[in-house]
Amino acid sequence: MIMHFKRQWSVYLWYLVIFIGLIITILPFWWGVAASFKSNSDIFRDLAPINIRAFLPGFSLESYFAIFENDFGRSMLNTFFVSITSVAGGLLINSMAGFAFAQFRFKGDNIIFGFVLLSFAVPADAIAIPLFKMMRQIGWFDTFYALIIPMLANGLIIFLYRQFFLGIPKELIEAARVDGLSWFGVFWRICLPLSVPVTLGAGLLLFVFQWESYLWPLIAAPSPELHLIQVTLGRFSTEYEMVWNQQFAASSIAGFLPLVFIYMFQKQFVSALTGVEQK
Amino acid sequence: MNFFKRQWMVPYLFLAPALIGTIAFKLYPIFIGFWESLIYTSFSGGAEKRIFVWFENYQYLFDDKIFWKSLEITAFLTIIINPLQIAMSLGLALLLMRKSKFIRIIRSLYLLPIGIALPIATIIWGLMLDPNQGLINGLIGFFGIPPQPFLVSENQALWCIIAIATWKGVAFWMLFLLAGLEDIPKQYYEAAEIDGATPFQKFRYVTIPQLKRTILFVFVADTAANFVLMVPMIILTKGGPLQSTNVLIYEGYRSGFYYQDWGRSLSIITILTVITLIVIGLQLLFLSEKNEGIKVK
Repeated sequence: MIMHFKRQWSVYLWYLVIFIGLIITILPFWWGVAASFKSNSDIFRDLAPINIRAFLPGFSLESYFAIFENDFGRSMLNTFFVSITSVAGGLLINSMAGFAFAQFRFKGDNIIFGFVLLSFAVPADAIAIPLFKMMRQIGWFDTFYALIIPMLANGLIIFLYRQFFLGIPKELIEAARVDGLSWFGVFWRICLPLSVPVTLGAGLLLFVFQWESYLWPLIAAPSPELHLIQVTLGRFSTEYEMVWNQQFAASSIAGFLPLVFIYMFQKQFVSALTGVEQK
Repeated sequence: MNFFKRQWMVPYLFLAPALIGTIAFKLYPIFIGFWESLIYTSFSGGAEKRIFVWFENYQYLFDDKIFWKSLEITAFLTIIINPLQIAMSLGLALLLMRKSKFIRIIRSLYLLPIGIALPIATIIWGLMLDPNQGLINGLIGFFGIPPQPFLVSENQALWCIIAIATWKGVAFWMLFLLAGLEDIPKQYYEAAEIDGATPFQKFRYVTIPQLKRTILFVFVADTAANFVLMVPMIILTKGGPLQSTNVLIYEGYRSGFYYQDWGRSLSIITILTVITLIVIGLQLLFLSEKNEGIKVK
């Protein structure tokens, strides 16, 4: 009986801790989305003094119309363009490299693979400044090239594809070769179609990576016509410092798409991310 | 094998695009960064003049109080934020291992911050922490606590940034730990239970040794990520108030983009890269050695 009672308590305690954690996790979203549907004065009215209305959504779309007048649509289109080309290009070149590492033994393969692993230990933000100088030298500064091309090669995704391709039975590939298929044919017609789960996870990583990038687009492409969504958000927060509802509306839109994708493909996303750990 | 020899170029052709990208845009910039840190650019008379000055940029840096203050803040941030995030991620992962009817939905909700970009999280938290009208001051006022200055206070700003980065980061690192925990064979716990182990003993002698590799990975990756944490500084504090959030990466960014002092900027980035490599090297050295001693197989 005492044991039972003790067990109950630990369950209640667990729920309590989980509940408090959830409030801290969700509160910023809830408040932000609720406030994005209010006029600016309503947001402030509900906060001072604070009352329950601060957590109830309003019904105004004013802020959403306003941000699209402020060039938010343009930066969304830019971000779609950059993300989609990065996903397509990144999946192609990284899967090809993964295929090479999985299928062939060649001179220097271990050293090259070591370099690839090393490259994903280099944080993107640490090389942003030298990379920026390089873009100016080669004339890509302030163009879409600077936003897309340096971000294509990705050590993590090469690694994911290599692990997956290693699992494809050798007999399958040999049979295809005997039938006269070229190596590119083996890659394109046999290996790639089999790799849907990796491709989903890796594509999602590339997409989220570009959709959420801020520092690199901020310094590499400063022209307003090239602004990506996070840069525009950052700009809103300084230029329209007191226009809270627009900041909330822009944040809600920018946050919505990655969240939907991540939840749709949660399993693939998690296994692509943690694939580093699972052998 | 003969076959491969005749077609020795095939693997290199497959590799070429990604390899060129990796070398040109990930590894070569490290080298340029160092090289450019040895150059002084003068703008006297309107013309840009580049002079190779060996380590003079570094010398100036070492005589500069702002640099030392920045280094101190970076060290403080590193010591606080990494253990904090690892402990919280591990705690959360352990909490989420429990069986419950709602565990799937609870786990999903905890993953929310992963889908939110750091600039968005920064902006929303910036408004929550607004000293005049922010939600947090409203909430603590409800409990009779006087309003706090948060991001505009020299003593609180860095802690606010730690809180924002932790809110955003914990769920992400927790994913890895959760995957690691689920990999531990159930029999180990059953065996420990038969031997009469308490929950703490099970944690100490089964969970920790089994999870060591994952923890090491998360610790190293998290440390590397936090050394370059500067989005909240760019958007909210600009390194202030009174340089209290002026970490090295931000000082490097500011020297370049605000003052066009690229020699200084890249000297700072180079120093930061070296520090990062040393710290990560030490982590790998100390933690993985212990790993071999306790490993249960």
